[in-house]
Formats: sequence, structure tokens, C-alpha cells
Amino acid sequence: MKIIKLPILCVGLLLCSGSAFSVDESVKIEPKTEILAQGLDHPWSVTFIADNEMLVTELSGKLRRVSDGLLNPAPIDGVPEVLFAGQGGLSEVLADPNFADNGLIYLSFSAPDTDQPKLNRLNVIQARLKGNVLVDHKTIFQSDPPRRTAAHYGARLAFLADGTLLITSGDGFNYREQAQALDNHFGKILRINTDGSIPQDNPFTTTPNALPDIWSYGHRNLQGLVVADDGTVYEHEHGPQGGDELNLVLPGKNYGWPAITYGVDYSGAMISPFTEHPGMEQPLKYWDPSMAPSGMTLYRGEMFPHWQGDLFISALVPGDVRRLAMEDNQVVEEEILFTEFGRIRNIASAPNGSLILLTDGKDGKLIRVSAKN
Amino acid sequence: MIKQIQAFLISLIIATFLVVTQTTASNLIWLQSINMPVDLQLVISTMAADLVDMNSRGAFPTIALIFVGLLIAFITARIIAIWTRLKKSYLYALAGGAALFAIVALMPLAFYNLDLIAGARTLAGKAYLVFAGVIAGYYFGSHTQQGDSNEDH
Repeated sequence: MKIIKLPILCVGLLLCSGSAFSVDESVKIEPKTEILAQGLDHPWSVTFIADNEMLVTELSGKLRRVSDGLLNPAPIDGVPEVLFAGQGGLSEVLADPNFADNGLIYLSFSAPDTDQPKLNRLNVIQARLKGNVLVDHKTIFQSDPPRRTAAHYGARLAFLADGTLLITSGDGFNYREQAQALDNHFGKILRINTDGSIPQDNPFTTTPNALPDIWSYGHRNLQGLVVADDGTVYEHEHGPQGGDELNLVLPGKNYGWPAITYGVDYSGAMISPFTEHPGMEQPLKYWDPSMAPSGMTLYRGEMFPHWQGDLFISALVPGDVRRLAMEDNQVVEEEILFTEFGRIRNIASAPNGSLILLTDGKDGKLIRVSAKN
Repeated sequence: MIKQIQAFLISLIIATFLVVTQTTASNLIWLQSINMPVDLQLVISTMAADLVDMNSRGAFPTIALIFVGLLIAFITARIIAIWTRLKKSYLYALAGGAALFAIVALMPLAFYNLDLIAGARTLAGKAYLVFAGVIAGYYFGSHTQQGDSNEDH
């Protein structure tokens, strides 16, 4: 009896291990990369307006269209004048969730203040894409007060499930302490309706002297913003030297900058000796040394099943993509990918499940990551 | 010559100390203003850390920046001293102030209006840093007076 059972057991174990092995192999799809376009002037953001059609911003002020993998040589007309200086320029482009019906897109950009041209502001506009022209422009947000510096704008946009729009507004570099005050837009995430009005259920609408569009505060330079299907909002922000952060953002919360931080100033000075304080949120993860996180997407596609639910963060230093596996809103694994392209400015998910990378600089590239076979 | 080098190094240390501690103080004063628990021990440890890190860990060593600024300013002052009868301690005080003014005024022009020395972000902060240069220059001028034929006697 024992003699008969042993081979059966062995065969059973082999079959089990074999099937388990083949399942793992089948879900791990190898990625391949291909350059779709190059010569883009400081590409910054990308949004899909159809399955095979995307819009790409160039920080220098142009909005470009890529259709079926080909860059349209003619930029889209009707883009407002922007302040292209330092880190400023034409930043985010985001298609309305109902773009197919209404043709609306949203752009964030820095521009001189109309009354004090030496100062500038972060602006967000809504406009309608008609053919290759933007029409019906409407300014729906301007940061307040205006700033002297051309850095740390944030400028990412994302829609919540209720149709309201989140805007990241950086601390302007020189104004970091203002991130802890509620009477200004430095170092904040803002929530507005798409017509520019303020949702009544924003957390500080009844707080004296607080700007009613503030949704969270205590941020530095937020350049990654993602809303998960369950409504969880993730943002990442550049730290100074060290202290880049990934945060889970909740309305009304204080994320600490610059009162608490894991980084030090570029001069080497300690910005704060504190890394935690009651009433201030801790990051899900921080990076020291910095990797300069520049953009983020949540992978929901079918092309790479083993990546589903993972966050992908593009990084400028030294230049790569970080895949973060998430479990119960905690980072459980980090993998470094795509190190061969240098500084990566942004990453996006395509409707077909591929990933899109934008490389930084004057000769920026648009790269597609898709399944090898 | 040795006396001049010694005076220069001490004036460099004075300026660097004043610049670094002003940055530390401005950071800690703000933290205390928002009710963070800043006590004397923290002030001392942060100051000590900044004195080391601002000269070793930053994108630029503060002492090197001030070294270059003071060197150019003092050489220029030495040339100007040939034609002026201004008291040497005052002349070098002006030169030291000019060196720090150049650092706090020119750095933002090179970096999109960004003040990389945090203590220099306000007008009062800039004025204090210029004053630090004046003190350093005054020390240098008043400790190198002997043997200069152009000085008031």
C-alpha cells in the first residue's frame, strides 16, 4: 500500500509545483519599450483623449497631439501665454472624465500676474478642444498670493469621483513656512468644482481666515497625484535633500512641511529637527537620498496583470521608475525599472494597459512600455 | 603676511559662524512660533549640526562661498586703499559687507529668484548677513593695520 501511495504522492507534488510555477510565469509579462516621439521641448504631462490619442504638454508652452503613435507636427492653437522660466511653464493637461461628450480639457501653467508683472501665479483653465484649437477658455483657479520665484508650483490635477478637481500647489520655495498657514495657496492641495466654484463640503469653508478651496496643507512641491478607484488619494512630493514623500491624503489633514521633515536644506542646514509631531501626518514612505519624484500613475490595466494595483512613480534622479506594490495602503515592495532613459518627467497609464513615459529636457521623448509578446 | 592670513581666516570663521547661526536661529524661531517644542538643548544641538552640515553636506559649502566672496572683496579693498585715506578697518568692513551683499543678492539671480540660504529670504535676514560681512571685514581691517603706509597715523 505504501509502495503504491509514494509514487502517487510524488507525482501529485510535482504536478502541484509545476502548475504553481506555470501560473507565476504566465502572469509575469516582460515589458518592452519603444520611443513614439522625440524632440519634445521639456515634455511635462500627458493625458489620453481617446484610446489611441493623447495630448502632451511642453513646459515651454506648446500643447501637442499624438495620434496612433505619431506626433502631430502642428501644436494645438489657443494655448494661453505662459511664463516659461525656472520650473514654470505649461504644466499639466488633464482630459475631463466626459471628454468624449464635452471636449473639455484642463491646463495648469505659470503666468505673470496681470497687476504686478514681476510676480507670477499658478493658473488652471478649462477649455474646449475643437479640432486642433482650444476655445471657450475659462480661468478656474489662480494661486494667491502671487510669487516672486519660478519654482515649486506643484501644478498636478486629478478628478475625484464626485467630479470635483484637485489641484496641487507647491510652496514656491522661498515661502515654505506659508505651507502651515491656511490663508494662502502655498504648499496645499486644493479642491474646486470644474467651473471654479468652491465645494461647500471642503474642510476649511467655515474656518476663519482660511481659504475655502484648501483641501489639505503642509506640502512642499507635489508633482504626483492619483485617485484610486476606492477614492484613496495618493500624492508624492519632492523633499529638499532627502525627504521625498509618498502620502495618503485625507481632507483637512496637515502633512507637516516644513515643521517636520526627513530632509535637510540644499545649504545643508536643518530645516527642522523634528520628523513627527501630533496633528501632523506621516508619509507612507519617504526617500533619503532623494530620487526627485516627478509623476505618478496607478496601474489598472490588463496588459501586465502582476502590476495591477501598483503605483508607478517617475523619478528625475538618477532617472528611473519606481514600482510600489501596495497592500492595505502600505508600500510592501519597491522595484526600480527603466533606468536606461535618464531623467523621467512623468508616467501615465494608457487605456490599452501600456505605460507612457516622458523623459525630461529639451530633447524629451515619449516612450511606450508594452508587453513583449 | 602670516598675520594677514591669520586675520583672514579668523574673519572667514566669524562671517561663516554668523551666517550659519542666523539660518539656524531663523528656522528655530519660526518653529517655536508655531508651538513646536524648541528648548535650549535643541538650539545648541541644531546650531552645532548646522555648523558642520552647512559646510560639508550642502550643495555648496557655505564657508567656501564666503571665502571666495571675502577674498575678492579684500583684494579689491587693498587696491582701493592705495588711493583712499579711509580708515582701513572701515574700508574692509565695507568690503566685507559688499561681499555678503553680493552673495545674498547675486545667488537669487542665478537661481530663478530662489534664496538658497534660508536666512536670506527676508529683507531683515539679508541685512543681518550683510552686517555679518561688515563685522568680519572690520575684524580683518583692524588686525592688519600695522605696516600699511596708507593708513591714518
